[in-house]
Amino acid sequence: MTPIVRFIRESKFIRETGITLLSVALAFGVGCIILWAAGYSIPAVFANLWKGAFGGKIAVGNTLTKATPIILTSLSFLLAFRCGLFNIGAEGQMYVGAIATAAVGVYLRLPNILHAVVALAAGGLAGALWGWIPGFLRAKRGVNEFVTTMMLSFVAIGLTDYLVAPRGPLHDSEAYANQTYAVLQSARFARILRPTQLSWAIIVAAIAVFVVWYFLFRTASGYELRSVGQSPTAAEYGGIRVKRKMILALSLAGLLAGMAGAGEILGTHFRFVDGFSPGYGWDGIAGGLIARAHPVGTLFSAVLIGALRSGALQVQRSGAAPGDIATVLQGLVIFFVIAPTIVRTVLRSFPSAGHRIRRRFLPRKEVGSEDDVDVEAVNDR
Amino acid sequence: MSFWSTLGSIFTFPLLLATLRLSTPIALIALGETYSERVGIINVGVEGIALLGALVSSLVAYFTGSAWIALFASILAGGLAGGLHALWCIRFRANHVVSGIAINILVGGLALFITSAVWGFRGTSPSSAPLNTWIIVAAMFVLIFASQIFIFRTKWGLRLRVVGEKPEAADTAGINVHRTRYVYTIVNGMLCGLAGAFMFSSVTRFTAGMVGGRGFIGIAAMVVGNYSPVGALGAALMFGFIDALQMRLQTYIPSQFSTMLPYLITILVLAFLIKRAQVPAALGKHYVKQ
Repeated sequence: MTPIVRFIRESKFIRETGITLLSVALAFGVGCIILWAAGYSIPAVFANLWKGAFGGKIAVGNTLTKATPIILTSLSFLLAFRCGLFNIGAEGQMYVGAIATAAVGVYLRLPNILHAVVALAAGGLAGALWGWIPGFLRAKRGVNEFVTTMMLSFVAIGLTDYLVAPRGPLHDSEAYANQTYAVLQSARFARILRPTQLSWAIIVAAIAVFVVWYFLFRTASGYELRSVGQSPTAAEYGGIRVKRKMILALSLAGLLAGMAGAGEILGTHFRFVDGFSPGYGWDGIAGGLIARAHPVGTLFSAVLIGALRSGALQVQRSGAAPGDIATVLQGLVIFFVIAPTIVRTVLRSFPSAGHRIRRRFLPRKEVGSEDDVDVEAVNDR
Repeated sequence: MSFWSTLGSIFTFPLLLATLRLSTPIALIALGETYSERVGIINVGVEGIALLGALVSSLVAYFTGSAWIALFASILAGGLAGGLHALWCIRFRANHVVSGIAINILVGGLALFITSAVWGFRGTSPSSAPLNTWIIVAAMFVLIFASQIFIFRTKWGLRLRVVGEKPEAADTAGINVHRTRYVYTIVNGMLCGLAGAFMFSSVTRFTAGMVGGRGFIGIAAMVVGNYSPVGALGAALMFGFIDALQMRLQTYIPSQFSTMLPYLITILVLAFLIKRAQVPAALGKHYVKQ
C-alpha cells in the first residue's frame, strides 16, 4: 500500500470531508428533483447560482461578505454544541451585539482604530450577556436552552426594534426607517474589495476561527468543555465543574454571535437598521453542522451558505426559479450531513462504484459507526 | 380613562374566546410533543411541521376548494414529516434536536419557495374558503382528555411510557421499541399538522411567519405541563391567554413590548414556576437492540 493511499484511508480529515461532500451532493440531487417537479430548468438555476456566487470579482466579494457573519454564528453554534448544548438563538445575540456596537460607534468619541476595537468589544460583550442568560438558566434551573435561546431571540429583536423606533432613545431623528445614526468614521472597518461591502470584518472572523480552534483543542478549559459535551456525568466524576462550563460555553457562543452583529454594523451597514440580518443567526446552525462542529470547517461551510445566499439573489433576478430554493438546499444538506449512515447506504446501492470508492478511500471500519461522528457524541448528554 | 374602565375594556368575553382560539394550536403541539417525548423522541421540528401543516392546508384548499380535504391533507403531511423525523432519529441515529432543526430550516425554505412558485407571492397565499374552526377547538379538548386516559389508564399507555423510561425492559417484555417510537412520533407530527391547519383556517391565508415560535412555546407548554396532556392544556391556556392579552395591550404599550411578552413570560415560567420535571429516562437516547 502506497503511503498516499494509506494516508487517505486513515485520515479522519479526509473521511469527514468525504462524507460531507457526498452529503452536499445528495442534497443537491434532491434539490434537482424538487426543481424538476416544480417545472424549473435545472441547468438555468445552477448556472445562475454559480454566476451569482462565484462568477466574477463582485460575486465573490458578495459571497464573502455574506459568509463573514455566518462564520461567526457557525462558531457560536458549534462552541455550545461541543459542550452538548444547543444555541439556536444566535440571531438574537447578533441583534443585541449590533445595537451595542452601534451605540458605541455613534455616541462615543475615540481615536481611529481604538474606536472600532471598543465598538467590537461592546458588541461581543452584549452578545455574551444575552448568551449568559440561557446558560445560567440551564445550569441553575435545568431549563432547556434551546427553548430559552429561541425565545430570547424574539425578545432581542423586539427590544432592539423599540430602541431604534421613532420614540426610542437611539432613533435617527432624520430618518423614517427604524435605525440609528451612522457610526462615526473612526469606528468603521475599512473595505477590502470595492465596490462590494467586503470589509476587515472577515479578518476578524478568520482570527476568531483560529482562536476558537486553539481554545477547544489546545487549552485545558476547552478540553473540559468538550468533555462535558461527551458525557456530563463522566466530566463531573473527573472533577470538572459542569455547570460552570455550560455557562461559559453559552456565554462564549453569545460573544461570537454578538461579534457577528458588530461586524455587520462596523463593516457592512455602518448603522443599526431594524431587520439588518436576513437570518445569519439561523444560518449559523446550518454552518456549524455542515462544518461537522469543527472550527476550521466553518470557513468552508460559511462560504457555501454565503454562496447559496448570493447565488439565490441571482437566481431570483434571472427568473430561473424562486431564490428560496437556496434555503431548501441548505435544509437538505443538513439532513444528509447529520445522518452519515445514509452515505454508506447510497454507496452500497451502487455496488461496483461504491465498492471501489470504499476500498480505496474509506477505512476498514464502516463509515457511520458510532465513534467517527462528533455530532453523535452529544446524544448521551 | 380610569384604571378600572381600562381593565374592563381589556378583560372581556371576546378575550376569553381569543384565549381559547390561541391556546388550541399550542395545546395540540404540546400534546403531540408529550406523546413523542414519552416514548423518548425529542422533536423540536414541531415548529416546522406546524408550518408545513399550514402550507399544505393553503395549497390543498386552493386546488380543491374544500377546507375539509385541506384539513386532512395537513394531518397526513404532518404525519409524514413526523415519520421522516422518526426515520432520521431511529434508523439513521441522527441527533434528535439537530434533526428537528433541519426540519424547521427545510420547511422554512419550502414555504417561501412553494408560495413563490405557485402564486408568485413570496411567503403568502391568496385567501381561501373558511372552516368552522371551533370544531378543531372542541376536538382539541376531546383529544387532550382522551389522551390523558390513554397514556395513564390503558395498557398501550403503559407500554409507551415504558419505551421512554426503560427501552431494554420494554424489549424484554416483548414490546417493539422502534415501532412504538415510530408510531408516536408520527402521531406527534399529525397533531402538529392539525395545529398548522388550525392556524391557517383561523385566518384563511398562509403567511410564512404564521407559526412565529408557537411550536417552541408548545414545547415549553409540554415541559410546564410536566409531560401530561391535561397539564399541557393548562399551560397552553396560560400561554394563549398571554397571547390574547398582548393583542389588547397594544393600544396601551409599544407594540414591540407586547409582541415579545409571550416569549418573555415563557422564559420566566420555565425559570421560576416549575419544579424539576419528571423527564423520561431514555429521552433523546438511541436504542440499540442487544
